[in-house]
Amino acid sequence: MQSTKSKSWLKKIAVIILIFVVAGGLGIYLIFTEKFEDTGQQKAAFTTNADALIREFQRNDSAANKKYAEKIITVTGQIAETEIADTTINIKMTDTLTGSYIIFAFQEQHIKEAKQLKEGNVVSIKGSCSGGSYSKILESEFITFKRCVITK
Amino acid sequence: MKKTLILFAMVGLTNFAIAQKKRTTTSAIINFDATTSLDKLPKADNKTVVASIDTKTGNVAFESIIKSFTFANPKMQEHFNGDKWMDSDKYPTATFTGKITNLAAVNFKKNGTYGANVTGDLSMHGVTKQVTTTATIIVAGKKINTKTDFSVKLEDYGVNGGAIAAGKVSKDPKISVVADFK
Repeated sequence: MQSTKSKSWLKKIAVIILIFVVAGGLGIYLIFTEKFEDTGQQKAAFTTNADALIREFQRNDSAANKKYAEKIITVTGQIAETEIADTTINIKMTDTLTGSYIIFAFQEQHIKEAKQLKEGNVVSIKGSCSGGSYSKILESEFITFKRCVITK
Repeated sequence: MKKTLILFAMVGLTNFAIAQKKRTTTSAIINFDATTSLDKLPKADNKTVVASIDTKTGNVAFESIIKSFTFANPKMQEHFNGDKWMDSDKYPTATFTGKITNLAAVNFKKNGTYGANVTGDLSMHGVTKQVTTTATIIVAGKKINTKTDFSVKLEDYGVNGGAIAAGKVSKDPKISVVADFK
């Protein structure tokens, strides 16, 4: 009687451990096979225009970095330049007086739409802001975005 | 008045460009590969790197925002930017300033593929170290394409995350820098 009881206890413990191991393994698997969500499906934390964003970074880039880095932001502005980067394309919005600019790199599934854009187009682009820094090479502020999508 | 100012600025910039022979791009690419046999995930690229080459002096440079490195996996990107790794809140950029040391071997006026030796200072994670590498320079008309591969010892730059000790992240990741100057 006693031994049947302890056997059933052992069984229960073994099942619980097994559940933990499987759940843990599945959790780790999900974390490491996870991909970034489509930016098009994400809500923007800020909506602004290119000139205002550039000015904010020029005034104080460490404060602007704290506010915007790794946030999803929608930026509206005129395309100053398109640049080929390997098989992808980057879009730039530039402040013509200071040369400071925002550059947008696109999420893989949205590169095709970005390639349709031309200089002079006014567009809204949503993406993850990587922050800005003063470039000693260009002597101007540069702000970079990743995983972008065109919203308008 | 504004127009005159802009005109002056443009003339000034043109003169500067002629004197310096400095070419720049804002879409240079850095690939970062710290994969090991245990982990294929620590791999990223940044396609919004600022780079320059001065064909007269042989000065070369690049500037990269650390948070611009894009990983396929969100967790890996978070670790990369975290305080055990690049600590990108504290050290937001990586920069390189250097020089082509065998400039005579590269003819920027003649189409061809040239091997260049480059030495300079790589700064990241608050540490500056000298790096010496070779680069391939392809001249095609007005276009200049440059490519270099090198590896860095993370330990030298004070990066010692637990994942490195566990063999999941390479101790000396491969870095490649490609820049197209038009």
